[in-house]
Parts: sequence; structure tokens; C-alpha cells
Amino acid sequence: MIWVEILSRQREVAARVRIAAPEVRIGRGYDNDVVVDDPYVAAQHLRVFRRDDGSLVAEDSGSANGTYIDGSKTRLSDFVVDGKQPIRIGQTYLRIRDVSHAVERELLAPPERHVLPIVLALVIGLSVLAIDALKIWSNQTTEPRASAYFTPLLTIAATLLVWVGVWALLCRIFAGRSQFLRNLLIALIGIAAVSLYDEFAQYVAFAWTWPAGVSYGYVVVWLVAAAVCFYHLREIGRRRLWLKGAVVTALLVGGIALQTLQLSEALTDSGRQQTVHRLMPPMLRAVPLKDEGAFFGKISNLKADLDGERSLPPPGEPHP
Amino acid sequence: MCSLAVGTLLRAIGLSLLIATCASGIVSAAQSESSVAERIYAAAPPRLLQIRTLVADAGRQTSNGSGFLVSADGLAITNYHVVSQAALEPDTYRLEYTAADGSQGRVTLLRVDLPNDLALIRVDKKDAPYFRFDQAAIEGRLAKGERLYSMGNPLDLGFTIIEGTYNGLADHSYTERIHFSGALNPGMSGGPAVTADGNVIGINVATRRGGQLISFLVPARFAVDLLQQAGEGEKPADPKSDVGRQLLAWRSGLFKSLGEAGFRSDTLGPYRAPATQALWFNCWASTNASATPKPRASVNSTECSSDTTVFVASDLNIGAITVNHSLVKTVDLNQFQFANYLTQLSQPRLSVGGPFKKWYTPQRCLEDFVSVSTPRQHPPLHVVWCAQAYRRFEGLYDVSLIAVTQDQPLEALVSRLTMQAVGYDDAIALGTRFLEAVQVGQ
Repeated sequence: MIWVEILSRQREVAARVRIAAPEVRIGRGYDNDVVVDDPYVAAQHLRVFRRDDGSLVAEDSGSANGTYIDGSKTRLSDFVVDGKQPIRIGQTYLRIRDVSHAVERELLAPPERHVLPIVLALVIGLSVLAIDALKIWSNQTTEPRASAYFTPLLTIAATLLVWVGVWALLCRIFAGRSQFLRNLLIALIGIAAVSLYDEFAQYVAFAWTWPAGVSYGYVVVWLVAAAVCFYHLREIGRRRLWLKGAVVTALLVGGIALQTLQLSEALTDSGRQQTVHRLMPPMLRAVPLKDEGAFFGKISNLKADLDGERSLPPPGEPHP
Repeated sequence: MCSLAVGTLLRAIGLSLLIATCASGIVSAAQSESSVAERIYAAAPPRLLQIRTLVADAGRQTSNGSGFLVSADGLAITNYHVVSQAALEPDTYRLEYTAADGSQGRVTLLRVDLPNDLALIRVDKKDAPYFRFDQAAIEGRLAKGERLYSMGNPLDLGFTIIEGTYNGLADHSYTERIHFSGALNPGMSGGPAVTADGNVIGINVATRRGGQLISFLVPARFAVDLLQQAGEGEKPADPKSDVGRQLLAWRSGLFKSLGEAGFRSDTLGPYRAPATQALWFNCWASTNASATPKPRASVNSTECSSDTTVFVASDLNIGAITVNHSLVKTVDLNQFQFANYLTQLSQPRLSVGGPFKKWYTPQRCLEDFVSVSTPRQHPPLHVVWCAQAYRRFEGLYDVSLIAVTQDQPLEALVSRLTMQAVGYDDAIALGTRFLEAVQVGQ
């Protein structure tokens, strides 16, 4: 008994025919066992028969367009069928399998919903909202208003849900399962990383007078965004990870380059240095006080930079 | 103060309406003196000038002011701000004059005096009568209340004579200015103000916005000095490079005298804050106590600013010095909110955005925690220093220095020293003394 499967372009089974005879003839003509409606297939195209040693052999019956193994460019006249590689005749893909073809072990059904990821998503989600609420609260130096909290927090939540929804939909289309919880966790971890980094950079900028962490914070945001996109893409499918990695890296490099350009142009336009200059309670200071003389020493070093700028032509004017 | 060169037509129309409505009262009050004014004006025409700045390629005026002859061979005095465009961009602009007697001709710019807003020009007019300077005014022997007559061409409406009163030198001013109670208008800049016997005591220069008949004259002795300098070194200096040189010299003298005057301590709550002892500062206090909605931190401020701005170009009036202290106390803000509130109060404010590129380099800032000598008297400070250089004037910078005390979580003194057009070393020296004068306790 032989099974002939006609595959779609995506190599999924479109039709499956069981042949009880020891030999199968495949072609466009109605005298075949399996009729293929493909104008590129010959009337008598392929014959499959069992050899004495029991293996199945496919033989081209002299077609004009030939017979190929899927993905190969070598035209074959006769070959042993292994049941794994699809065979291409004309524009049609076939798979020929013996009844003894071994199938893979069944997949384990997804267990009952794990509690851990749900708890994890809840905890991360709530802490992201809590960090943002704290930030809003500490910035609220005028009349306190409830809407100052709700508008940004609801915006974050809504954006997050739309983002995760889109990825879940893509997963559903291409991988069959939406993996909503996993996608949600990926996005939440990304947002939490950015939030925590931001707070930490602000703290370091004040306590250690090291503002570079805030000035270049956008690089970190892009890195996190790229990582999040990569993991979402990985959820869609584990195949061609190198290609996905390359796409995400290109996105990352492009994003950082574009924003750097934008910031440097904004600086030449406005002349405002991207310093942080954000104060925090004095008890958070971590560096020792600098001696007045040393501070003014550093200030006098700025003069050289300013004079260097002066000798350059103003932005937008050609060099002399 | 508002300089008096005529700008746009729109502004001229707006102002002319204002004058038309308030002129009648003055005329009736001054009826008895009109014969003097008549006599003075009758003698003026050949020596009174309108100075016009023309776009060289278009051949039409972009602004105009007044001027007057001071020698028989065609030397004349006007304001620097009347001729500033031609001084800074000689390729784009040129100068012409029209005398009150109708004669016209070319004007050559000889010399400028930037701090006093004067310019010496030569017109192609020979053996014309000219104005003489009043000896009593040069020696400072003029009495308040003396009647003065100011002439010029306001708003391009025609030559005009105005009566007013001499009110001595203006207070709180680093540059000497005669306070003249009379209606100066745009276009009269550079015109002469004379006594009843026709001698010049000052040059029309500016008016105070929002005041009534409050106008200012440059004392005649500066014009005499300028004339003498020109007589000594006859070769005409390059006005463009002269502007930068004079600015630098004038500013370094100004900051030297600011340093010499020194700082004294003003008490603000538990802190003592530096206040300048120089007399040419105007000081005011402000508070947010009555603000609505009720502020969540109380801010009581003092601000002393100097009236030392100088007209360099139509888009560059520079030279202000400001000392600002704010005592900030929480009402119901916690430590983090209070720190954020201080952040808003202590941002550096230099010229950024807009047309800054033409005159300034981008700013450079530095911030750190600083301690000044003995910590018992001096609170720890968080200090921000921002500076930018002037592209066209070597050696001049704008500097903003902000110190926030770090000894209390819920109370702080935000001290700010802003210096425009300052030499870098002067700025560092003044900044050091400024920080040293921020103290706490008794």
C-alpha cells in the first residue's frame, strides 16, 4: 500500500490518496492512479513501484519538464523515495510514503495554564505601572490632579496591549498559536528594563554627577526595543533565526544612527547642551564634595572648547 | 530703554497716532517760550541732518536717524545705533544724509564709540555752519530744570524741534546718561539737544518704554572726546573690528569695577547671599505668596540687574548682569518633589534657539557638588556653570552660574549670577567670589 500526498506551495498536505496496488502512476491524464491538474505536468509523468528489496522507487516516464527533489536543481530519472523530501513535478509538490513510514512521537498537549507566568506578568506589569506612578508623583510640584496619573498610565497599558496583540496575531497566523502570555511577558520585561534603566541613570547622573547615562539613554532604549522585537520574532518561529537577528540588528543600527543625527542637529540648531541637571534630595549624593579650586579648574578648561567652537563657521555656513 | 532709530513703517504709524493725541497740552503750556524755539530752529537747517541707512543694492532706506555737523569741514555726530548696519555689514549697507536745508550726499563712517552709542561721520559738506558744544554742560555745571531743545527727524515726518527739561544724570546707570524730560521719538536718534543759546549739551539716544516723556541723552563730553580722538589719529579706523575691540575694553573695565565694588551679604532666611555693592544695579524683590493656586513651595526672591546693556546690532543688545537669589521652602512638597521643584528653578538661561547661531556658539555646561573652604559657614552647593562664546567678539562670553544649597532637604537657596559679554577670567574670578559669599548660619 502506498500513500501519495499532494502538497500546497507551503508544503502542507492538500490531498492524500491511498493506492492499494504495488505500482502508482501519476500524471495529468485520466489513465493515471493520481491525476494532477497542473499544465506543466506530463500526461504520464511519474511511476512509483516497489523494488525487490522492498524500497519504493520513483521513475520519470519521459516528461518534458522532468522530476526533481524539492530544493534541488538536479533532474532525476529514477530515485529511491524516502518519504521525507517532497518531490516536484511541473509546479506540483508531492510526497510519496510507504505504509511503514515512521511518524514522529506525538507532541505533548500543552499542560494546564501555568500559574507562574501569569503571576510573573502581573508582578512585572504592576511594578512598571508603579514606577511610572512614582515618577509622576515626584514630578507633581503644582496642584495634585488625579488625571495626571490616569492619562499616562492608561496610555502605557493600552499601547502595551495593542503591541502584544499585534505580535500575538502574527504568531497565530504564522505559527498557529498566539502565545499571548509569552508575548506579553517579552514586552513587559522590555518596558520594565527601560523604566528601571531610566530611573537608575537619573540617580547616577545626580549622585555621581555622571550625566552620560541619561544623555545616551536612547541607545539603551533602542537596544531593549531590538531585543524585544527579536524575541517576539522568535516566538513566531525558530527557523532562520540568523535572518531575524540580522533584520533586528539593522533596525537597531538604523535607529541609533538616525536618533544620533537628529540630536546632533538639534544641538546645532538650539545650542542647548543635553545636560541632565536634575536635582534630587541632598542625602542621595554619593560623590564627595569637590573643592572650589578644582571645580573652577575644570571650568577654565571649558574655555578652550568654546574658543574652538568660535573659530568654526556658524552652522549652515560654508567653511572658509 | 528703547533706541530711537526708525524701524518698520508699521511701528511708525502706531507711534504717530499716540503722539497726535497727546501733543496739544504741551504746546499750550510752552507758548511763552516758543520764540526761543523758533530762533533756535531757524538757525538749524544747514547743520541738522537726517542719516539714512540704505540697502546698497536696492537703493532704499531700511532705517534712519538724525545727526548734526560739528565742524566746518563736514564732521558730524550721530548715534552708533543709527549707523550700526553700515558699520557691521559695509558691503550690504551704505549711508546717506539729507540736511534740513534740503542738501543731500554721501556719508563716510569714521569712528564709533560703542559704550556711549556715538558715531563720528563725515559728510561732503564744506564751510557749512555747525553746532558748538556747551562748555557748562561739559563741565557738568548745568542746573536741573534748565530748558532744552531737542532736534531731529522723528519717524521720517520732517525735521522737528521739541522742548523739554534737563533733569541731571540718570541714577543706577553705569554709562552716563542725561535724563531729559521731553518726547523723543524713533528717528530722532543722533540729533542734538541744545540750550536756549543753541549750544549742544547732549545727543538724543533713547526713551523709556512705558514711561511718559522719559528720554535719555548722551552727554556732550563723549562726543567731544570722540572728535578729539579723530583729530589725533586722522586715519579712519575699521569700524567693524573697532566694535569688538571697544566692547572688550569696555566690558573688562565694567567687570573690574564690579569686582572692586565687591559683594556684601544679604540675609535670606538662614542663608546669607551675595549682593553687589555697585551703585548701578536696580534691585527688586518678589514672592509667590499670593499666587493662585496656592503654591506648594514658597519662593522669596531678590533680583539685582544692571542697566549695562549696549546696542551692538538690531538683534543684539548685550551686557546685562543679573544677580538673583531665591529662598525656597516647602509647604507640602516631600523631598523628591522639592528637589524637582528646585530643578525647575535652577535651569541655566542663556541665549539658545532662534537666531542664536548668528552671534553665539553652542553652550557648554559643567555641574558638580562644590564645597567652599570651611563647611561650618558654607553649605555644600550643587553648582551649574554654563557658558557660550560670542562668535564675532574674541574674548567675550555669556556665563550663567547657578548654585543650589544642599544642606537641607526641604529648604534651599537658589543663587544665580548671569553675566553677558564677560571675559572668561573675569567670569571665573567673580564666580569664585560669588560662591564664597553664599553662607549659612549666623
